[in-house]
Amino acid sequence: MAERVRITLTLNGRQRTFEVPPGRRLLDLLRDDAGLIGTKEGCGAGECGACMVLLDGEPVTSCLVLAASCDGATVVTVEGLGGAPGALHPFQRALLAAGGVQCGFCTPGIAVTGSSIVDRNERDPAEQARLLAGNLCRCTGYTKVLEALAAAQEAGHAEP
Amino acid sequence: MPNREQHRRAGAAAAATHGRAKDRQSGFGAGERGHGPLGGRHPRPDAAAKVAGSARYVADLALPGMLHAAVAVARVASARVRSVDLEAARAASDVEAVLGAADVVGENSIGVVFPDQQLLVTDRVRMVGDRLALVAARTPEAAWAAAALVGADVEELPGVHDPVAAVAADAPAVHEGGNLLRTFLVRRGAVRPAARRAAVVVEAEYRVGGQEHAYLEPQGCLAIPEGRERVVIVASCQCPFYIQQGVARVLGLPLAAVRVEQAPTGGGFGGKEDYPTELAACAALLAWHTSRPVRLIYPRELDMQASSKRHAVIVRHRWGADRDGHLLFAEVESFYDAGAYAGLSTVVAERGNVSAIGPYSVPSIDVRTHVVYTNNLFGGAFRGFGAPQVTFAAEATMDALASRLGLDPIEFRRRNVLDEHRRTTCTGQRLRPPVLARECLERAAAAAGWTKRRGAVTVDGHWRQGIGVALVQYGCNLHHGGQRLDRSSAVVILQPDGSVIVRVGLTEMGQGNLVACQTIAAQALGVDPSVVQVWQPDTTTVADSGPTVASRGAHMSGLAILDAVWRLRRRLDPVAAELLACASAEVELRGGFASVRGKPRRRVSVAQVAAEMAARRIEPISNGFTRSSIRRFDPSTGRGAPYEFYAMACHIARVAVDAELGLVRLEEVTAAHDVGRIIHRDALEGQIQGGVVQGMGWAISERLALESGRLLNPSFTDYVIPTAADVPHVTAIIIEGETAAGPYGAKGVGEPSLIPTAAAVRNAVCHALGVEINELPLTPPVLVAALGQRHPLAWVLAGSDPGAGTPETSAALTPAQR
Amino acid sequence: MDLAVEQVLRPRDLDEALDLLAAQPEARPLAGGTDLVVQLRAGRSRAAVLINLGALGLAGIDDRPDGALAIGAGTTMAAIACDPRIRTRHPALAAAAGLVGAWPIQCRATLGGNLANASPAADTVPALLVADARIELATSGARRQLPLDQFFRGPGATALDRGELILSIVLPPPPSGRVVERFAKVGPRPQQIIAVVSLAGRAVVVSGGRLTEVRLALGAVAPTPVRARRAEAVLERATPGPGTHRAAITAIQADIAPIDDVRAPARYRRLAAAVLLERFLEACRG
Repeated sequence: MAERVRITLTLNGRQRTFEVPPGRRLLDLLRDDAGLIGTKEGCGAGECGACMVLLDGEPVTSCLVLAASCDGATVVTVEGLGGAPGALHPFQRALLAAGGVQCGFCTPGIAVTGSSIVDRNERDPAEQARLLAGNLCRCTGYTKVLEALAAAQEAGHAEP
Repeated sequence: MPNREQHRRAGAAAAATHGRAKDRQSGFGAGERGHGPLGGRHPRPDAAAKVAGSARYVADLALPGMLHAAVAVARVASARVRSVDLEAARAASDVEAVLGAADVVGENSIGVVFPDQQLLVTDRVRMVGDRLALVAARTPEAAWAAAALVGADVEELPGVHDPVAAVAADAPAVHEGGNLLRTFLVRRGAVRPAARRAAVVVEAEYRVGGQEHAYLEPQGCLAIPEGRERVVIVASCQCPFYIQQGVARVLGLPLAAVRVEQAPTGGGFGGKEDYPTELAACAALLAWHTSRPVRLIYPRELDMQASSKRHAVIVRHRWGADRDGHLLFAEVESFYDAGAYAGLSTVVAERGNVSAIGPYSVPSIDVRTHVVYTNNLFGGAFRGFGAPQVTFAAEATMDALASRLGLDPIEFRRRNVLDEHRRTTCTGQRLRPPVLARECLERAAAAAGWTKRRGAVTVDGHWRQGIGVALVQYGCNLHHGGQRLDRSSAVVILQPDGSVIVRVGLTEMGQGNLVACQTIAAQALGVDPSVVQVWQPDTTTVADSGPTVASRGAHMSGLAILDAVWRLRRRLDPVAAELLACASAEVELRGGFASVRGKPRRRVSVAQVAAEMAARRIEPISNGFTRSSIRRFDPSTGRGAPYEFYAMACHIARVAVDAELGLVRLEEVTAAHDVGRIIHRDALEGQIQGGVVQGMGWAISERLALESGRLLNPSFTDYVIPTAADVPHVTAIIIEGETAAGPYGAKGVGEPSLIPTAAAVRNAVCHALGVEINELPLTPPVLVAALGQRHPLAWVLAGSDPGAGTPETSAALTPAQR
Repeated sequence: MDLAVEQVLRPRDLDEALDLLAAQPEARPLAGGTDLVVQLRAGRSRAAVLINLGALGLAGIDDRPDGALAIGAGTTMAAIACDPRIRTRHPALAAAAGLVGAWPIQCRATLGGNLANASPAADTVPALLVADARIELATSGARRQLPLDQFFRGPGATALDRGELILSIVLPPPPSGRVVERFAKVGPRPQQIIAVVSLAGRAVVVSGGRLTEVRLALGAVAPTPVRARRAEAVLERATPGPGTHRAAITAIQADIAPIDDVRAPARYRRLAAAVLLERFLEACRG
């Protein structure tokens, strides 16, 4: 029987401890152990970006991250982008205003990556598109998502 | 026994209801603008939850005691099955049930049109992905591990993997009766004499590849049994009613005992029209046997291999025109690769059949459309539904004819396109004005700067520019052959506080059906959209409304909603009239108020009226229903009215091509669309932008690599769809028309937004390169091969250095023909 | 779904890691996981035991006293792509790192992982080869260094001994003079793609436009990334001109051995390799 692994991480601002099987991916820890279903599985191979979370401040595909390698890490999921329960990051607000949400399955992942691009103050549209290339979307054709990115940059950074 | 008179009266009443529905939508002010949410950009009601990550898709739903399902599938495309061994799987840890074909309690049959497909195979495997057994286990890992232990003793048989080869007499038969399932025709005039008069004739064979939907959310469903007498299915799907029918058949239950709720669905594009029924039947069977809820989610690789695909089609053309550039005749023979089972292939081919010519006037036509069984991927519904493939061919041939005549491609189309004066289609249907194909063409051409850009191929470093055009005439809603499905049901319930519940049978899969329904209901009731709540479809709340396909969602939901609101107002208006001391006929609903027409200050809030209705116990719930009109169409000749009405569109694509490497960058698409009426501007733009990019992917990078029916690239790694870094600039030109059959005059845009894109891209690439390429996708190896000896480094492949040659190698590419 | 892994060891430093590996040589080292996890899930690899390398301090880019640059095996692609020293001295490597997958993959994927995975299409390797990179390896008993072009044995196969870990890649200082260095990657879309062909080139341009210290390396056209030594020899100090270019393009065809696969046919790879070489030579003329 596989021995379980104990992990403590800061998840959406709160310290949480989990005991999980060694083969558990961060994605499944978030969805099944922490009950945060906002992060989605689209491919399981790190290609589609639906499982994007911020790990120690950087966007990563959580389907490729073993929970066991996250001890002591800081993780932010789509639910925590706004900083407080129910709050939204400026990029999330911009996505809504721009009409950049259709089926919504890619949206949490795009919200995570997009918020990261805004927080880094990346203003060049071509570079913004390049940074977003790891988030596949099949519905929107990306135009309104990129418009939301530009609008969020204009609006400035996260308000308290 | 009801007598004929009762039948006649029922029919007349039904016809009157339908007629009133059409009147009603114009009675709601089809021409009125300037008030209400129609045509605006208010926030989509489902967007906030999605952005916050709180929308629950199937994989986000779990119930106590729920089991996880897995499917054991065949890995070869053609085989005789001697036996299937379930024992090893049954003995695996955490497994609750393993089921084979013998365990199907109802009918082991799943085909949506033809009864040629089993849920679990008994003696023949006909495609990779055919189901051998089902597993339910306590964890998904255990379920899929057990599925891998299912053993099948099979004897591989020769398979057939090309639809043209498959119709040969000696081809291995996929089913008894041979591989040619159906042939559809369009016949008009006389081709042979017309051909003799032609000044130019183009003969070509187009090999058009299929496409994977690549919705971000994989297929999945949850089956919840209520004993063995009833079952609830929660599914990621486009047609809950298909699922209801399929599950009822597999479990041997009456339809009313199967309840299907559509979960928020992460993309469909046609791939979730009929295929979800297969998963639902699997999950329902496991739930029936185990008495536990069962959830089945397909891993991406299995989804890509086994679920339905856009049909690969071989299209053969012989078209001709006279010296003045008028089309004289068009011969088309298409072979649709249906895969192993009919599925929806005949329905797809019916649309392709009548779409083979495009919006052009051609006096003599001979179209033959064959649906062919092979052991390849399962062909099914995909945005465009047979039209994109024949449009690709038609628009390529149009460019080839134009070139041989020395005419600009748009000028050639001008001379042939349907318009107000020349509005008889290839099936002999006279279109109702306005016929906006010419307007779409002209406005797109002007906006795209066509004349300047087509005139000369500009070169910028390694990149050569090209521009190309394509048109589509899209038949909205269901083809004549599917008329019996073309109806829609709605329920509107006015709450005592003035908020409104709306239920429809058509589904939201990202395209905006929810916001369209919300908008139409709010517009009709004169209230703010925020008080209108449209809930996900549930087969126990409305009548069968058919599938959400054919760009019919907003149209059919909208008409049914308007019908429901009209009927509700027969009870609401008198109450308002009493409160306002006026006549019922003077009551107007607008801005959240019921007011007296012409005297806007005499008003009460709609909420007050609702409260009054509740206090008086006046029925606040109302049904709505709509049906398409009955049309005459002769399938044996293809003559008549296959569709009720049409939406026209023109796409102009501007590309940059790196000829030496065969790379294509789509820089800009100008998309002109005849939409009837804008319901929600963001949703409309989103559909156009999304359709263009999905069409672009099909055009240049999405290749289904098959080997003996097995998909070699069932992952996003090697099935390459566009990313945010690939996006062209999309200019949408929205043209509204005066009359149209839909709610407030709206047509549909879901499919027209994709159909002409690949054709326009191909024409642009050919302009840039000066070669004709007759296959899709236009991947780098295809482009480079098309250049052949004209590639500046072609000598590398010849294996020898040609010695002293022209130093300016890029001039070896001839300027593109006008 | 959980991966079929029975144990994840989490050593706190390099020595502990090497001892664990010596005791359990079948244990698979895990860094960013962007290749390994994909393979585990697909069943292409089986690993009952993983050794997490995250705490070993192997990330970082250091200047060595001899002017070389040492990139720790645990350094991510993102860190490599944006490091100013790499962008200045080894621009091909910076470009290649910025083309591995997409941004989120670059935040996790490590240089050591890219090398250990030994894909013939590995993006960083051609760039490292033209920089004359050396690879530093360690077991619990020993350290050694190899020229990188001796590290790859075949698809997925390396010179790593049992129980051996990659420590770092060492890049000697680039040559002086007018150095032209380029990296190009060809695929059906510009981002998030496995290379169909890639080419890194570095040369010093001397009088008359002649090239010296020519280094050419390609990916995805042979069982391992390869140095195009025949083409290099043709170009080394040769008089520039169409004849030399054609000879180099012909020579490079003998340096590569592409196959047909799901991504592209061999014919296309040969043509694309020739085009990339020609464009590198164009850049040198520039």
